[in-house]
Amino acid sequence: MLSFLALLLLHALIAPALAASDYSERLLLRPLPQNALLASFNFRSNESSTAFEQQNFRYFPRSLAQILQHAGTKELHLRFSLGRWDAESWGQRPWNGAREGGTGVELWAWVEAQDQEEAFARWLSLTNTLSGLFCASLNFIDATKTIRPVMTFQPEGDHQNSSHLHLLHGTLPHEVVCTENLTPFLKLLPCKGKAGISSLLDGHKLFDASWQTMAIDVVPVCAEGGECVLEMEQTVDMVLDIDRSKRPRDNPIPRPLPIEEIECDTSKPYNAHDTCYPIHKTTEPGFSLADLYGRPIKGACPLTDDEGEGANTVCINTPPERTIDIKTDGAYVENKLQSDTLRCYKLPTGSDFDLVLPEQQMTTGLVHQEPPLSAARHINGHGQEHGSVQAVIKNPSPTDSVEFVYLESLPWFMKPYIHTLRARVSGSSESPIKETYYRPAVDRARGTHLELRMVIPPSSTLTVTYDFEKAILRYTEYPPDANRGFDVAPAVIRLISPASADNKGIYLRTTSLLLPLPTPDFSMPYNVIILTSTVMALGFGNIFNLLVRRFVGADEVPTLGAGGLKGLIRGRVERLRARFAAKRKAT
Amino acid sequence: MAIDQQKALLFGAAAAVRLLLFTAFPSLPTLLAGRVEVSTPVTSFKRLQEGLFLYTHNVSPYDGGVYHQAPLLLPLFSLLPNPSYYPFATNLLFTAVDLLGASALMQIVESGQSVTTRLFSSSRKDMRWSSIAVAASFLFNPFTVVTCVARSTSALTNLFILTAMAKASQGASFTFIFALSIASYLSMHPILLFPPLLLLCYDVRVTKTKSSSSPLAFTFYHTMGLVDAIGGLLSLSAFLTGSWEFLSATYGVRLLLPDLTPNVGLWWYFFTEMFDSFREFFLGVFWLHVASYMPGLTIRLRKQPLFVAATLTGIFAVFTPYPSIADAALYLSLVPLFRHLFPMMRYTFLAASTILYATFLGPAFYYLWIYAGSGNANFFYAITLVWSLGLSVVVGDSIYAALRDELDVERPELRGKDVKRI
Repeated sequence: MLSFLALLLLHALIAPALAASDYSERLLLRPLPQNALLASFNFRSNESSTAFEQQNFRYFPRSLAQILQHAGTKELHLRFSLGRWDAESWGQRPWNGAREGGTGVELWAWVEAQDQEEAFARWLSLTNTLSGLFCASLNFIDATKTIRPVMTFQPEGDHQNSSHLHLLHGTLPHEVVCTENLTPFLKLLPCKGKAGISSLLDGHKLFDASWQTMAIDVVPVCAEGGECVLEMEQTVDMVLDIDRSKRPRDNPIPRPLPIEEIECDTSKPYNAHDTCYPIHKTTEPGFSLADLYGRPIKGACPLTDDEGEGANTVCINTPPERTIDIKTDGAYVENKLQSDTLRCYKLPTGSDFDLVLPEQQMTTGLVHQEPPLSAARHINGHGQEHGSVQAVIKNPSPTDSVEFVYLESLPWFMKPYIHTLRARVSGSSESPIKETYYRPAVDRARGTHLELRMVIPPSSTLTVTYDFEKAILRYTEYPPDANRGFDVAPAVIRLISPASADNKGIYLRTTSLLLPLPTPDFSMPYNVIILTSTVMALGFGNIFNLLVRRFVGADEVPTLGAGGLKGLIRGRVERLRARFAAKRKAT
Repeated sequence: MAIDQQKALLFGAAAAVRLLLFTAFPSLPTLLAGRVEVSTPVTSFKRLQEGLFLYTHNVSPYDGGVYHQAPLLLPLFSLLPNPSYYPFATNLLFTAVDLLGASALMQIVESGQSVTTRLFSSSRKDMRWSSIAVAASFLFNPFTVVTCVARSTSALTNLFILTAMAKASQGASFTFIFALSIASYLSMHPILLFPPLLLLCYDVRVTKTKSSSSPLAFTFYHTMGLVDAIGGLLSLSAFLTGSWEFLSATYGVRLLLPDLTPNVGLWWYFFTEMFDSFREFFLGVFWLHVASYMPGLTIRLRKQPLFVAATLTGIFAVFTPYPSIADAALYLSLVPLFRHLFPMMRYTFLAASTILYATFLGPAFYYLWIYAGSGNANFFYAITLVWSLGLSVVVGDSIYAALRDELDVERPELRGKDVKRI
C-alpha cells in the first residue's frame, strides 16, 4: 500500500513571488496517476505602464503591445486548448482552472470605449489583428460569437486608472490548435525558445499531449499607491502520457512488449511460458526530459534572475523518496521546498540540463487535491430536429455548499427554449437558481447568452436541462464538412464561494458539444429552383388560363386540329404556304 | 330532430373528441406542436410559450429569434394558467375557438351566399349541404382536429377569417371589419381577403336594404375602418411591448423568411437552396405571385365574392411562406360550401388521392430524413411538392367549375355540352 503524504501543492503558493522581477520563467513537473505527467510552463514579463505608453519595450513583446494600444485593450486573456482534463483521476486543475480555456480558442478582454458600438468596433480590430499575430481564425469571432458576460468573468488586474471598460468574450470551439499557433507564441518570449525552459516546447510533443492549453494573459498590476506595471503571463499546461511520449519519433506505432518484459499474474491457472495475464505495474515509470520532449533544456535563459525565488526555474513535485538524477555539464543549484516534496533547480547557463527519473517502486504517494466541483454536459435526444442539453454538476464536498455561475454561449442556429429550463438538486425540491441572465439569439446576428447563478448543497448533484431546436441553414452557410455537425462552445463555470485566494478566480469548463444539423441536398439548387418553379407555374398557369379566357361551346368554334395529328400538320403547312405567298407578293 | 338539437349534439361531440384527445394522451399536444407539418415558426405553441415566458420575465420576446407571433397573444395567454402545469384552460380555449369557427361557418351556409348572390344565382342552387353537415366537415376534419390539439395559433387566425366571412355574408360591416383586422393582424396575409369580402358585404347590404348606396363611399368608409382597426391593434401592441420592434420580428419574418424550418409549403427549400445574390429578387417574385391572384379572381368572379374569398384561402394554403395543414384545413372546410360545383369538377379523384398520398407519406419521409437518416431532404421536399400540387389542382378545378356554373346561367343552351376555352 502507498501511504499518502498530506501535501497540497498549489500553484498559487509559488506564484506571487515571481511578480517581483521583470522576467521570470518556471517549469513545474508533477506526475499524475496512470502514467501521466503534468508539465506547467509559466513565463512572466513586466513592463511599467509609463514605459508601455512611451512604446519603450524591454521584455513585453512589441507586436502584442501595439495591438493592445491600438484596440484600447486594458486586459486580455487568450486561450488555445485541446483535449479534456480528466478531473476524476488527475484531481484539481492547474491554476484552479484560471489559465485554461474551452476546447479551441477562447478570448476575452476588457476594452476601453465610450459606448457599446465603439467597444465592439475595437473588439473587432483586436480579434482581426490577433488573428494575424497568432495564425488562428480569430477573425471569425463576429457578432454571432461574441457575448458580454455579466457575472462569469471578473477583471484580474487593477483598473482604477481606466473608465468605461467593456468586457467582451468570444469562442471558436471548432478551431484546431496546432503548431502554427505555437510558433508565434514562442516568438513573444524574450528567449524565443532558444534557451531556458521554452527550449522544450516542440509542436510534435505539445500537440500530442492528452490535454494541453496555451494561455496569454495581459493584466495591469498596481502596487499600493505606487507605480503600475503591465504584466504579461504566458502559460502552457500539458498532460503527457509518459509511455506515448517515450516512443521514438521515427517509430511511433505502439507494439506489444516482448513477453519477458511483461509482469504476469502467476496465480492464473493458464499462466505458462507463452501465456500471460499482465498485471498492472506498481512501479512509477521512469522518464527523462529528453525522453519526453526529444531534447534536454538548453541551459538557462540569461534574462532570468540569478538568485532568489525567480532562479528556481525547474521544479518537480514528487515524494522525497523518488530518485532524481541530474544530467548536466554546468553548475546547477538544487533547492528543496515544502518538506522536500518540491525540488527546484537553478539551471546552468550555456549547457544542457536534463532530469532523469528511473523506474522506481514507491511506498509513498502524493495526495491530489479533489476538485471543488465536477461538471459534465451532453446533448440528449435523437434526430436532427430538436434535442435537449443536460449539464450535471457534482459537489463532492461533504460539508460546504458551493455557489457558482454557469455560462452558456450558444450559436444562433441552436435555439434554446428557456421556458423548459429546469434545474434540480438531487433530494431537494428547492430551485438552486438564484439569478438568471438571458439574452436570446437573433438569427444570423447574435448568439444565445445564458448565465445562471446557482447554489449546490454539500455532496449533491445538480442537473440543468433545457430543450432546444435546430435550425436549418441556407446551403451556403454550411461548412464543407456539413454532415460532421457544428461545435458548441463549452460551458464556463466560475466558483463564487468558496472564493479563491487570489484575484484569478476558480474556473472549470465542460467539454464542447457536437451538434448535428439537418442538411439540405447540396447538389441540387438548380433542380429545386426548377421543380418549385414548375409547381408554381402549374398553379398560376392553370388559374390564370381560366381567368383570362372565355368559354364557348365546343361545336361553335372551327377547329384547326380537326382530324388529329394529320389535320394539325396540314394546318401548319397551309399557314407556312400562305406566308411564303405573301412574301413573294411583297418582293 | 330540431336544428338546435343537432347543433348541440354536433358541438358536444366535437368538443368531447378534442377534450378526450387532450386528456387521454397528455403528451400528444407536445408531440404535435413539434411537428413541422402542423406548427410553423410563426404559429407554434411551443414558441408562444417561450415568448410568454420571456414576456412575463420582463425580457422583450421580440429581441430574439424564437417568437414571431402577434404581441396581443401574450397578455391573452398570460391570463391563463401556465400550460406546462395546468393545460386544461388552454385546451378549453382552443376547443372553444374551433367551435366558434364552426358556428361562423354555419352562419355562412345559412346566409346562402355561396349559391345565390346579388348578381348571380346558380342554376344548381338546390344542390347544397345543410349547415350542420358543413360544420361537421370542419369540426371532424382530421387536419382541424390536429391543429386544435397542437394548439397552433393559426386556429385563431382561421376563426377570425371564418368570422369575417360570416359577418360579411350577413352584411354586418362593423364585426366584419373587426374580425378581418384581427385576422390580418395575426397573420398578415388575410388582408388580401379584404376586397372580395368587401364586395360580398356590399352586395348583401344592397340586397337587404334594397337601395344601392354609393359603392365609392362604402369602400372608403370600410377601408378607413380597416386601417383604423389595424392601426389601433398595432398601436396597442406597441404600447404593450413598449417599442415597435415587434413589427420586424413578426411581419418582417413573414416577409423575409429568415427562419427556414421545414413546412408543407414551397418556400423553405427554395430559399435554402437559393443563391444569396438572388434571394431578395425571388422573395419579391414569390410575394407578388401570392398577391397576384387576388385582383384577377376578384375581377373575373365579381358575381361570386364568397367563392373568391374561399379560393384565396386555398391559395394561401399553398403559396404563402409559412403554410401548415391548418391553412389547408380552413380551405378544405370551405369547399363543401360549394357543393353545387362538385358535379362539374374534373379531377376530384386525382386531387383527393394526391392529398391523401402526401398526408400519409409526408410524416414518413420526414422521419426518414431527420431521424432515420436513410433519406435526405429531397424526400420531404418531394412530398411538399405533391401536397402543393394536389391543393392547387383542387383550387384550379373549383375555379373551372365555378366559371362553368356561371356559363350555364349566361348561356343555358350550353348546359351539359362540351365547352372550349378560347
